[in-house]
Amino acid sequence: MATTPWIQQRFEKLRGTRVWRSVFRRGPARTNRTRSLAIFGNLSLHLLPVKVREKSLGVRATYYLGSIAFFLFVVLSVTGILLMLYYHPAVPDAYRDMKDLIYVVSNGVFLRNLHRLAAQAMVVAVFWHMFHVFYRGGYKPPHEFNWVVGVGLLLVTLFLSYTGYLLPWDQLAFWAITVGTNIISYVPVLGRPLRFLLLGGHIIGQNALLRFYVLHCVILPLAAVALIAVHFWRIQKDGGLSIRDDHERDE
Amino acid sequence: MAAEDQSKTGEKPESKSPVNRRDFLSEIAGCALAIAGIGAAVVTMEYSEPNVLFEPPTTFRAGSLDDYPVNSVTFIQDQQVYIVRTEKSLWAMSAVCTHLGCITQWKPESNQIACPCHGSKFGRNGNVEAGPAPRSLPHFAVRLTADGALEVDKLETVKEGEILRV
Amino acid sequence: MSETNKYVVGFGSDAAKDPRRIVFITRKTSAKVKGEAGPQLMSYPHLILREAIVLQVLIIVLVAVALFWDAPLEQLANSLLTPNPAKAPWYFLGLQELLHYFPPIVAGVLIPTLVVLGLVVIPYFKINVQGEPLWSGNQQRRAQVLVGVVIVLGVLLAVYDAWTVLVPTVLVGTLALLPYFTPSSSARYVQFLRSRTVSWWVMTWFIAVALTLTLVGTFFRGPGWSWVWPWSRHAS
Repeated sequence: MATTPWIQQRFEKLRGTRVWRSVFRRGPARTNRTRSLAIFGNLSLHLLPVKVREKSLGVRATYYLGSIAFFLFVVLSVTGILLMLYYHPAVPDAYRDMKDLIYVVSNGVFLRNLHRLAAQAMVVAVFWHMFHVFYRGGYKPPHEFNWVVGVGLLLVTLFLSYTGYLLPWDQLAFWAITVGTNIISYVPVLGRPLRFLLLGGHIIGQNALLRFYVLHCVILPLAAVALIAVHFWRIQKDGGLSIRDDHERDE
Repeated sequence: MAAEDQSKTGEKPESKSPVNRRDFLSEIAGCALAIAGIGAAVVTMEYSEPNVLFEPPTTFRAGSLDDYPVNSVTFIQDQQVYIVRTEKSLWAMSAVCTHLGCITQWKPESNQIACPCHGSKFGRNGNVEAGPAPRSLPHFAVRLTADGALEVDKLETVKEGEILRV
Repeated sequence: MSETNKYVVGFGSDAAKDPRRIVFITRKTSAKVKGEAGPQLMSYPHLILREAIVLQVLIIVLVAVALFWDAPLEQLANSLLTPNPAKAPWYFLGLQELLHYFPPIVAGVLIPTLVVLGLVVIPYFKINVQGEPLWSGNQQRRAQVLVGVVIVLGVLLAVYDAWTVLVPTVLVGTLALLPYFTPSSSARYVQFLRSRTVSWWVMTWFIAVALTLTLVGTFFRGPGWSWVWPWSRHAS
């Protein structure tokens, strides 16, 4: 689709206006300086490095697994927020709302499918990413701490998936969580109090559903965002994405 | 030069006492912060543990003695309790498997209580006969009320030998 | 960056008059600065564009599948009736299979804790960072240790009837021992196996066991967690 010179002229004029320049301060990214500013001067993008090594851009370097995991998180957040518009975290509303979403709400079944699919995919992607980083030696100094942050992200991902599992309040959800919380009670000393805290009581009922909902929608996503930010930041600060060639040809 | 520096910062060379004012105030401030932090954590923990639970009542009436034939095992589903009656005694047992919390089923053909989750099997008295369950099924206190009804208290577990003699 | 760099520094007898420093770097354990290695490109547009493409391809794939594959919804939760079998989400089925063999405190608490701790400490172990192949150094001694470990593990697992863990352990152990018992083989896969490091073998063993446990828990377990053949089960 070719833009007509007229539209381009208009756009360039718009770009020159005071209003535009007060919002977008750097001007078009045509010089290396402005390209740097596109990253460095951007609130969210400045987590990324201004320059990357050409070798790390290839598909075979990382298979973009980390990016895939991150984008899945974004998809989950968007679909999750939309699903929240119809979901009441209460017994018996929850199950009714699931039926509502599937059979009544426009595109509800699609959004729910997308959310569940992305959740399964994210667990797979996170594991795959971890194994791939391990096998290419990406945990070696100076990237050790980032690996630990990654393990933290793995746990957050699993816990997010687990808390989300209860929310439909069907048999599958209820008994999966029953088994899981009973395992927690086997932790020595802290097990029973931990289970009580997690469930907000002795049984899996109203309190448990609400707590899992808050964990799933607020607490854990915030933790995930914080850890993701640290994870990206460390890549930049540790000298850029590590690829297989950086470490001895062993793995 | 070195002496000047020392007097500027107020540090005394190598002497253990007295503590200078800056260090003292710093320590006090640190302790105050620690107390505030611990206090905040404790307040949050106490807040998070509910004091009142809206859960179903744990004491229920189980009908009368005649409802339970001799040498029978009756599964009361909505309470997750077995009432077992032999010739001379009666007791109430939890139907929740002690392994991971699944609800067991009474199988009269094999004279066993079986758990569907991991294959644990219990006898009529609640003892583990097979499977990964670590403990036998707990027994609950059973009482006869004034009007002859059986009352089971799920919060009160009793030892296996304590039965209602009938 | 200090203790791990094993280098020796020597000074001349009079450093001020005759500065002479000799540095011996004995092991390649120093953090290597890689920033200069290879040509660099501006993140904008090169990285950003590629990430945008990944995002779009991902969305297309997700949407395509989500349009046809419906998420399950079973009956309303009933605290009085446990379905048979009662299975955890697939990523925990490996754990649930493990629970079948070992007491809950081992399979449910101890092993997951050890796994997480094991993962966390990987980068802090010199043996992982150095990356020497398993079959270097005193090969005979290493073979003895490896066979010993496999036997001890095997006996422990057999005592608990944990066949699902035993089989992949023995398989991986055999693969690991293969280069030792075929020292003259020049087959490519043997060469590949020979050059693998200790950490590679441990991780591969872990993945093999986890994969087997998860597959068994998903497809080979039916009511009462009894063994079923996947083709004789009804659709899960």
